[in-house]
Amino acid sequence: MEELLADVVGVLVVIVEACGAAVIIVGAVLAFLRFIWAGLRERSSSAFVPVRLTLGRFLALGLEFQLASDVLRTAVAPSFRDLGQLAAVAAIRTALNYFLGREIEEERRQVAAERDVRAQGVPATDPADRARGRMV
Amino acid sequence: MTTLQEVTSTAATLIVAAGVVSGLVVVVVIRRPPLALGVLLDMLVAAGLLRLVGTPGWPVLVTTAVILLLRRVVSAGFRAARHSWSDDGDGADGGAPAQGWPLSMARLVHPAWRR
Repeated sequence: MEELLADVVGVLVVIVEACGAAVIIVGAVLAFLRFIWAGLRERSSSAFVPVRLTLGRFLALGLEFQLASDVLRTAVAPSFRDLGQLAAVAAIRTALNYFLGREIEEERRQVAAERDVRAQGVPATDPADRARGRMV
Repeated sequence: MTTLQEVTSTAATLIVAAGVVSGLVVVVVIRRPPLALGVLLDMLVAAGLLRLVGTPGWPVLVTTAVILLLRRVVSAGFRAARHSWSDDGDGADGGAPAQGWPLSMARLVHPAWRR
């Protein structure tokens, strides 16, 4: 029975990790294409902020999948060494998820501030400075 | 190494290459190295996450952790630098740079945090 459970969990872990990896790969490829597009066509630094925001969302979603696989793996981790590595991976992913969430929030504020400023007809400057209400 | 790990390892390598290309495009077209570094680090984080798939060894774990730490440090550094460079440098606040200097040189000599 235990072996069956371990096999089932092992398959589930692979499936969930594959989903997470697919999300990250798709996000990175999309971001790469949009970076190139923004660089060659729009030629403005503000065009990169939404792309980074989208990439951050993809990474956060992929991380959720990977954290789910970590949780699943704890059900069948056989030794303390494996558990130690698992804890390190989970810690890295959790920390990254936290920081990604903060960065996404920060960049979202920048985009909103930029949109507000554009709506008021103020000349364009650095979005970060606009977010702080400064003009360079 | 499982098939999934082989796929993700190859994808991670390709994403690193894509990050380098994206960073170069930003530097060449926009001429903003901090933004290019941010783009490159974003892609490096994606590659690092892919390398964590499966049961990675300690070197991979340490490398990924260092990349994440580096990303935070560089971001904080650029935020601090931008704060220093983008403050009002028009000389109205006492610690005025000499008139006629190029603005960038004046801000270098009198950064915001020294006023």
